Amino acid sequence: MARRLTPAMRRPLRRATQVLTLLGFVVLFVWSRRGGWSPAPVNLPMRLDPLLMLAQWLSSLTLLVLDPLTLLFRSLSASVWPALDVAVSAAQVTLYRVPALRNIVPALDRLIRPNVLPLLPAYYRFTTLYAAALAAALGLNLVAHRFWCRYLCPLGALLGLLSRLAVLRRRVNSGCNQCGACARVCPTGTIRADRQFASDPAECTVCLECLYTCPQQAISFPPHLARAAGQAYDPGRRQALLAVGAAVAGVSLVRANVLRRRDPPFLLRPPGARENNLLAKCLRCGECSRACPTSAIQPAVIECGLEGLWTPVLVRRIGYCDYSCHACGLVCPVGAIPPLSLAVKRQQVMGKAYIDHDRCIAWADHGHCIICEEMCPVPQKAISLQTLEVLDSSGRRDTIRLPVVERERCTGCGLCEHRCPLNGEAAIRVWVPTDELSA
Amino acid sequence: MRAGKHESSEISRRAFLSRAAALGLGLAIGPALSGACAPAGPPKPTAAPAAAPPSATSQATSMPPPDSAPSAVPVVTTTSRPAAAYLAVTRGGDAETLVRRALAALGGMERFVQPGNDVIIKPNICSSAHTFEYAATTNPWVVGTLVQMCLECGAGRVRVMDNPFSGTADEAYARSGIREQVEAAGGKMEIMSSFKFVPTALPQGLDLRELKIYDDVLNADVLINVPIAKNHSLARLTLGMKNLMGTITGRSAIHQNMGQRLADLTSRIRPALTVIDAVRILTANGPTGGNLADVRQLDTVIASHDIVAADAYAARLFELQASALSYVLAGEKMGLGRSDLANVRVEEVDLG
Repeated sequence: MARRLTPAMRRPLRRATQVLTLLGFVVLFVWSRRGGWSPAPVNLPMRLDPLLMLAQWLSSLTLLVLDPLTLLFRSLSASVWPALDVAVSAAQVTLYRVPALRNIVPALDRLIRPNVLPLLPAYYRFTTLYAAALAAALGLNLVAHRFWCRYLCPLGALLGLLSRLAVLRRRVNSGCNQCGACARVCPTGTIRADRQFASDPAECTVCLECLYTCPQQAISFPPHLARAAGQAYDPGRRQALLAVGAAVAGVSLVRANVLRRRDPPFLLRPPGARENNLLAKCLRCGECSRACPTSAIQPAVIECGLEGLWTPVLVRRIGYCDYSCHACGLVCPVGAIPPLSLAVKRQQVMGKAYIDHDRCIAWADHGHCIICEEMCPVPQKAISLQTLEVLDSSGRRDTIRLPVVERERCTGCGLCEHRCPLNGEAAIRVWVPTDELSA
Repeated sequence: MRAGKHESSEISRRAFLSRAAALGLGLAIGPALSGACAPAGPPKPTAAPAAAPPSATSQATSMPPPDSAPSAVPVVTTTSRPAAAYLAVTRGGDAETLVRRALAALGGMERFVQPGNDVIIKPNICSSAHTFEYAATTNPWVVGTLVQMCLECGAGRVRVMDNPFSGTADEAYARSGIREQVEAAGGKMEIMSSFKFVPTALPQGLDLRELKIYDDVLNADVLINVPIAKNHSLARLTLGMKNLMGTITGRSAIHQNMGQRLADLTSRIRPALTVIDAVRILTANGPTGGNLADVRQLDTVIASHDIVAADAYAARLFELQASALSYVLAGEKMGLGRSDLANVRVEEVDLG
């Protein structure tokens, strides 16, 4: 009697756990965009992921790239989220024009911004690429049920290894009449008729669907203390040589990239991050990028080679490093971007600004533009203005003010580059300083 | 491999058609929605300031001006207070007293705010970088006092807003200290929504004919402009007229021919009252600030219904002639106000 009650109680318990976990993920996901809330808990999912710990310990990019948690988080924040923002904003612009909705639209806006959607729109490069990756991972379900989880997911494989030590393991007793009902409901497909309906503990997720289904009550999950038998793996000589060779070739190819010789001039990193430390530690989870209120932090795609895939880079034309923000370091789960106080972060040098005198409105065209100087947030401005008396095209005397960067005061926050009114590349650009990068 | 639940790859013709129709609808609606974000489209016909909604300003425009000011200036007066000053300057007290005495000299806040009015107060909260001591943002107690005074006059609603150029509004409101004082006074800090910046014609504009201006600012019964007086390399100083740049998007348009363009913007917005906060002024490294060595504490407030006159007077605090400010010259030429303060009643009150 007690055995019959247990499954009936377990099933809603399992559902409740799943729903709560999903809800928790969604809450933390919404929380992770910047809104004045404590950044401390947002990276909890990353901290709980054993694969990320292993991958970071081994510095294995392969494991990181295929980690389901970072894949999901990155895809959501770099494609689903910005798309949602655009759709909501467009709807707001349209609906605000409807006289009957003129009061309702702003009231709704106050509910969702900044609580759910960010105040400054979230922009990402290659949004379709991230959406395609997510769609592909989900679409593989059409090929085989739970394709990702069963065949690709390295987290699943890792948990499978650990499952050999699982206490609760499935057992089929003599009551089994080989009806095959359990094999049909098993979501991981590990119950097979050719093994007398036994299962591989490494594949079994202890979902207990078979237990609920079995008409004979022939399945139980009694506690085990001994380790489960593992599957033998003994590759032939040829296979072993091939695997080792491919690994060596792959690593060599990555290392042969020109980026090893010459640092990319515009590869700017978040405040306080140091290149070697960042590459070794970064989980590519995208928390920093999501926390950045101006969308300045973008996941790298090709600019720092395969090794730097999805590491954070600052793209100034998209956003600037806000003088009063230090969120990226606070949300980073691994300290790839150090958690700096605001006072310390304000003094971090990310790069140095240089003016292109051939394109600058003031220098090249003798126009009146001082926006870079106006914007510079450093207390003693890192851009000063020189005065130049000129004769304009009609011969009139005019006084032009020419911006000059005071390099020792510049921190490379990029507000000047972001706000430069020129089309295309700004006439003032932040470059990677040679000294700071190798520190 | 176990046969999955999704093994069936066939879909019926009906299902295919309905999916195709849904996709087509999505493709058709998507661009239409995105298109709504584009700035294109005919400008919304907006009323010229002369035909503004019944507010303190427009009611009083028909009344005789006290100091033979140019007729285009929306001069406000009431018969019960014939001694109302054209411009009031108070010095040497705490922020609340400075504001209250300045408004008293102008004839009281009730000259500007009628019971039930929808009031918007526009301080300068240009960035989230620094607290008020750095004089980059308006003094919180100046703003708070104005909120309180509007409510004392029976205002239906008092909202305070600005659109910072660096950092988010949320954060800037908090760091500036303005949120705390406004909420304590019973006002509401409102974050400006991007969809409320509507293309607006500037019928009197000489250089600019259209700008995207914040809808609520145009529709409020009373707009009170509360800049802080500070240094700015292009405008020389940022005062009342420059502060109105926070009510538009596409600000880089203003940076060319700034004096005239600021006057064009002012010709459409016309705040009922301008209160210049000079409790602290920023003398260098403006408008962003951050260096206490650049801050001077003057404990001064300048108030007038005439934004040009207020700006002209404030230039003196920096030992500048009003004629050094291109927007004051342009504004005066357009009849938005006057800078020759010798011929108007300026009431200077020393509280110290």
